Amino acid sequence: MTPRYNFAFLDEDTKRMLRRALLKAVAIPGYQVPFGSREMPLPYGWGTGGIQVTAALLGPDDVLKVIDQGADDTTNAVNIRRFFSRVAGIATTERTADATLIQTRHRIPETSLREDQILVFQVPEPEPLRTLEPREAETRTLHALADYGLMHVKLYEDIAQYGRIATSYDYPVLVDGRFLTSPSPIPKFDNPKLDRSPALMLFGAGREKRLYAIPPYTRVESLAFDDHPFELQSWEHHCALCGSNDSYLDEVVVDDSGTRMFVCSDTDYCSGHRPEARA
Amino acid sequence: MMLAAFAEPVFDSQRTFRELLQAMARPAVPRRLPVLPPAPAPVRPEAMAILLTLCDAATSVWLQHPAAEVAGHLRFHAGLRLAEQTQQADFALIDAPASMPALDSFACGDLRYPDRSASLIMQVEGFRTDRGRRFAGPGIRDTEMLAIEGLPDEFWHRRAELSAQLPLGVDLYFVAAQHVVAMPRTTRLLED
Repeated sequence: MTPRYNFAFLDEDTKRMLRRALLKAVAIPGYQVPFGSREMPLPYGWGTGGIQVTAALLGPDDVLKVIDQGADDTTNAVNIRRFFSRVAGIATTERTADATLIQTRHRIPETSLREDQILVFQVPEPEPLRTLEPREAETRTLHALADYGLMHVKLYEDIAQYGRIATSYDYPVLVDGRFLTSPSPIPKFDNPKLDRSPALMLFGAGREKRLYAIPPYTRVESLAFDDHPFELQSWEHHCALCGSNDSYLDEVVVDDSGTRMFVCSDTDYCSGHRPEARA
Repeated sequence: MMLAAFAEPVFDSQRTFRELLQAMARPAVPRRLPVLPPAPAPVRPEAMAILLTLCDAATSVWLQHPAAEVAGHLRFHAGLRLAEQTQQADFALIDAPASMPALDSFACGDLRYPDRSASLIMQVEGFRTDRGRRFAGPGIRDTEMLAIEGLPDEFWHRRAELSAQLPLGVDLYFVAAQHVVAMPRTTRLLED
């Protein structure tokens, strides 16, 4: 642990500001609470929102897991884990079941989460309506009026053009029947895990200076139409390493002649399901 | 002589915050507060733990009974501002719920910014989970049963009236006997 920093890097005033905002976020599920995002020792877009939320939560007894697209061993995940073990001296893990806090970029672990775990999402764009309406003052008003017609028109245009809803990640959800919310760019495969989750889920967007929450056991509905219901992707492939046919798969090019392999995106889940681990 | 605050400000406030966060995420369930700092009467140590964890120079607090010793203690340890009007308060400390002002006299936020609303810390007499009223809403899997002692019946009518304005509203922290129960605006009281 580097002793030159306050515990978990942020100063106490900043943590209190974040904590007040987080409590309001939980009290108003899916609503984006503005907060005073600080400059962090890594650039916007590398998870500064998630890191600030994690820093406000973290205590000496926590066990932290960080994943990037499901993997524990990619640059972003390794660096964030190392950052917190340096500035907070906390224990880290790669095992989902052992973690008390999980910070994630763009995936929800395959292993079911428990009530005593908290999931922190890194969010690039918290406003689900932003690509449809660039003005913040307007999107605020649309949320105030719960006027989400724009998003329904966008999904309808998908159907008119492609015959199906083509959005496959960052698929918009309605939280507790009230606020239209971005689930962050998780694949829509993960959307059902948001609904009535036993674990608290917190979302931080550092560049956009917003945070929001989905409390446990809260209704989270993926937008759809009666005649075009929400559908999950499916694969004809199994994971080449563990044989799983129910986890989210990444397609990996393995040589210069373009040979492809499908493997689990969740590295912890995959290593726990390989034949040698099961034996 | 002035009383002390948290012995370990960084870690005590972190532990208290995590309980408050879980309390807010799982409404109507009493949670034990891990650290109870000294508090001048009529403030209970549980309420003081919340104020020291969440309040600083950026927040204003309304005290139902602003005793000089309480005001001095909070100003010294938290550096917070005391609000004269309920409408201006980010946090309010209610030590006698029977004579508290109307819930809608506190800030309920506006439709663009429902987070600009008050959080009320209410000192009550005790909690029972084996009987009482039933609650439902986000954070509650099925229903939770809870009796809050020392709260007038009329309080629930006032709160139900306010719920027509969702997502506007106030969020509540009830404290008694080393425990806290949070009740966000979204928690519904079920009619039996």
